[in-house]
Amino acid sequence: MRKGKRLFLAIVLSLALIAPAWGADTIKLGALYNLTGGMSSIDAPALNGAKLQAKLINDKGGLLGKKIEVMGIDTKTDQKAAATGAKKALSGKVIAGLGYGDTTFVMAAAPLFQEKGIPFVTSGATHPMLPKWVGNCMFMVPFGDDDQSFAIAEYTVNKLKAKNVVVWTDNSMDFTKALSKFYKERIQQLGGKIVLEDFFMMGDKDFSAQIARLKSANPKAEAVFISAIPNEAGLTVKQIREAGLALPIVSGDGFDTELVTTVPGAKLANDVYFSTHTYREDTRPEVVAFVQAYEKEYKRPPENAFAALGFDAVGLIADAIKRAGKTEGKALREALAATKGFKAVTGEITYSRPTGVPMKGVSIISVKAGKYKVEEVWFPKQ
Amino acid sequence: MSGGYIAQQIVNGLVLGSMYALVAIGFSMIYGIIRLINFAHGDIVMIGAFVTLGLFQTLGIPFPVVALAVLTAGGIIGIMIERGTFRPIRGAPQVTGFIASLGISIMLQNLGVMFLTAQPRNFSFPDYLQRVIKIGAVTFRTIDAVIMISAFCLMALLMFLVHRTKLGMAMRATAENIDMARLMGININRTILSAFAMGSALAGIAGLMWGGKFGQIDPLLGFVPGLKSFVAAVIGGVGSIPGAILGGYILGLSEVLFVGLLPPVYSAFRDAFVFVTLILILLILPNGIFGKRIEDRP
Repeated sequence: MRKGKRLFLAIVLSLALIAPAWGADTIKLGALYNLTGGMSSIDAPALNGAKLQAKLINDKGGLLGKKIEVMGIDTKTDQKAAATGAKKALSGKVIAGLGYGDTTFVMAAAPLFQEKGIPFVTSGATHPMLPKWVGNCMFMVPFGDDDQSFAIAEYTVNKLKAKNVVVWTDNSMDFTKALSKFYKERIQQLGGKIVLEDFFMMGDKDFSAQIARLKSANPKAEAVFISAIPNEAGLTVKQIREAGLALPIVSGDGFDTELVTTVPGAKLANDVYFSTHTYREDTRPEVVAFVQAYEKEYKRPPENAFAALGFDAVGLIADAIKRAGKTEGKALREALAATKGFKAVTGEITYSRPTGVPMKGVSIISVKAGKYKVEEVWFPKQ
Repeated sequence: MSGGYIAQQIVNGLVLGSMYALVAIGFSMIYGIIRLINFAHGDIVMIGAFVTLGLFQTLGIPFPVVALAVLTAGGIIGIMIERGTFRPIRGAPQVTGFIASLGISIMLQNLGVMFLTAQPRNFSFPDYLQRVIKIGAVTFRTIDAVIMISAFCLMALLMFLVHRTKLGMAMRATAENIDMARLMGININRTILSAFAMGSALAGIAGLMWGGKFGQIDPLLGFVPGLKSFVAAVIGGVGSIPGAILGGYILGLSEVLFVGLLPPVYSAFRDAFVFVTLILILLILPNGIFGKRIEDRP
């Protein structure tokens, strides 16, 4: 009898496992994000953005007569969890994957989608080599790191008039290393000089040793470029300012987090500049509509550009589904690759470059006394 | 490399070392008395940081009162952990306690994530603790001075307690030989409980300092101080309180000086150097600096 009961239980449980697959009247998107851990302050808003887009589309009647379902999976800022999450999404019969604000995690998950011929759209990972590394199922919503590094490098030299620059790099991530590489390249092309390079690891809390070295840099540093993810963004600004250093701090979109102002506090969050995705203070209709919808849904303004990018990722996939007329892997992939002039919140997306990286504008944002302001929008030349 | 630069790095290392030392003391005390490697110790640092955040930032209670409250909260958590987990399994093989402490650690972290979310929170102290002080080429903040001085005072107080009071004598006796101590009429339960309370109170206050120093806290922050103070305790000789203090300072200083004095390319690998130091010290002094061979308990 006991054996019978167990068997019964086993059958019920396995039915419970397949049950979700029966409800195939929805279009499922697997959204892989690090909702906990070091990446959470950029990934959680991105998932909110993605879910919001799905909701707006569903409110208008869905796609191909079906509702969109965004299956959010938390991968805990852990690459192993990212791979497991990808497998989970794929076994959940998703028609496309989306996710991540960082290259390292995309590289853990996207190749599994590529193997199955299912498109993966990254909302915020910016390494320009991603489409080359993963394959033809890899699509990027954001600009590439080369673009954002070039933008901030030109701003450093031309607008901040800083020629002697110190570069700090988080040595644990592909994204931060790439960002520094492109930044240094452009600074040197513009006649600037890298007076000192220093390194740290994601998760480091104490930067006092690097700061002491920054202080004694010779010739004197006129700006410091910090290639970091959000977890270290606020910490480094706080500790540098507290050590009495007032030089401009510049960075890329890893600094597009509220931690840059909340951790150091308004008084110390000063003279910080970063390049990021275009949407803040923009008046294009799609931006205004997005900000309003986000505030209505979550009762707060979008935390950062990643919310908009998540929103755009689902929008991009929905646009491709509409054009393809079906959700099957190959047709969807081709429709995505043929995207032209898609009006995303973070700028128009066209896949015209051979690298597969969209050509988009880059915003330079300044932080002065805890206040964000868009200084300029930079466009790539080619 | 100027003298001022090196002096600055030494100050940086001492501040970091003070925090490691405070956490390492509790680690060492608990090990000394019941031979338990308590991996949940680092998470008490996290609890201390969040208690500070709640009382000070949200409720606006004055700073000295908060410091006392955090000490008490740390102590109470320590007592709860001992009563709830370690007392029921006392006498079990060492590895049972070790695994149980790992379990508590994971539980505390996950409870933190559940109730407080994993989003890092900012943590700011009043201006008078953030003021920058400049002595020659060395700059530091009031909070750094407060960390160093209060760590020193707390450690002095603890040494007094352990060496000059009856309770301290009982603790030392229990550490030496638990069965003999019991035969001598020492209340073992009370002694172990007070070791947990004191060690955890110090870890709690280290949490306050950790938050004040780095300005950003999250429920998983206990892992690093937990691991580092374990290393500090091993360097100094597990079970020895002066050893834990010395180990904490050696660790803090070597971490900062590795980054500060080696070429910058190695900066990212500070933790690797820390563990190399640990291995080197253990190769020369297998029981740590102040460690003695102590009785193994089953």
